[in-house]
Amino acid sequence: MRSAIVSFLAAIAMSMPALASDAAEPAAEPAAPRSALDSEVQSLRREVVDLNRDLFMLEEDLLFPASTQVAVFVSMDVGTFFALDSVQLKVDDKEVANYLYTAREQVALKRGGVHRLWLGNLKAGEHEVVAFFTGQGTHERDYKRGTTLKVEKGVGAKYVELRISDKVSKLQPEFVVRVWE
Amino acid sequence: MDERNLRRAAALRLLLAATVATISLAATAAEGPAAPDFALASTAGTNYRLSEYRGEVVALVFWASWCGDCRRELERFERLRRTYGSVGFTVLGVNLDPEPERAVAIAGAAGIGYPVLLDSGKDVSKNYRADDLPLIVLIDRHGAIRARHQALDEREERGLLVNLRDLIDE
Repeated sequence: MRSAIVSFLAAIAMSMPALASDAAEPAAEPAAPRSALDSEVQSLRREVVDLNRDLFMLEEDLLFPASTQVAVFVSMDVGTFFALDSVQLKVDDKEVANYLYTAREQVALKRGGVHRLWLGNLKAGEHEVVAFFTGQGTHERDYKRGTTLKVEKGVGAKYVELRISDKVSKLQPEFVVRVWE
Repeated sequence: MDERNLRRAAALRLLLAATVATISLAATAAEGPAAPDFALASTAGTNYRLSEYRGEVVALVFWASWCGDCRRELERFERLRRTYGSVGFTVLGVNLDPEPERAVAIAGAAGIGYPVLLDSGKDVSKNYRADDLPLIVLIDRHGAIRARHQALDEREERGLLVNLRDLIDE
């Protein structure tokens, strides 16, 4: 019985190194591929990051060139002394927009709506924005007024607001151009 | 991957996105090309924009004072407007005369109750390829051009009425 137990233990003891070597072998084998896999994953990750950055930059360049973007908006405050008919916009003496306002759009402006008249791209530097407003003034008289603004285009996007408001003291409409920072 | 390939891949992605968007839009829109939007002043001095009539069936009647068949169409569409106006049918006359005075006189004599828009610059008529007058363009409630007609005889008028009723029923 004892010999049986001893031989069983001996067999176990003898099989241990074999087991140990069996266990060690598979562990030793993937050591080299794992490091290769790690470096592969790292390079793949780096490629993905680069690709993502390139895509982002390309999208920015194509769709949102903020460095050149200029937007011009029209708004109206009250509008008792002026019924807006159209706005003509010139940038650097070139007509870029000529917009006719319908009755619905006039109502929307009077209620506080803001209309984006033009969205375009301009190089950095000084530019001249000229807006001509046509419509009817008090006593249904035809009215045409122009207003000019020198815009210094920097790196970021530029937003210009053409605001029509009532000057109660003179019973006249007032046309204000301002740049949103 | 070099820069050129990257840019090509990005452009392809954008193209794919645009194609998918176009296909999905085309699937949702009604059949027929989209009617080019425009804004014109009328003989009454009011401004009209086509896109504000989305949801209605619109007939654009292109005409000029020197066009012999135009007057008959102006009167025909006044009758149609009176019949179908209450169910969402709008008629907009587009006059191509360089001076509005004659348009005002003819529209007044023909008893037209719909707006007559002045396209003296002919930008809108060029967009709609109004080379031969009169030209009638039927636009559905989704803003798509569904039919174009020239001067109508009896048989063509029946075809127009069928088209018009179909569009109103849609």
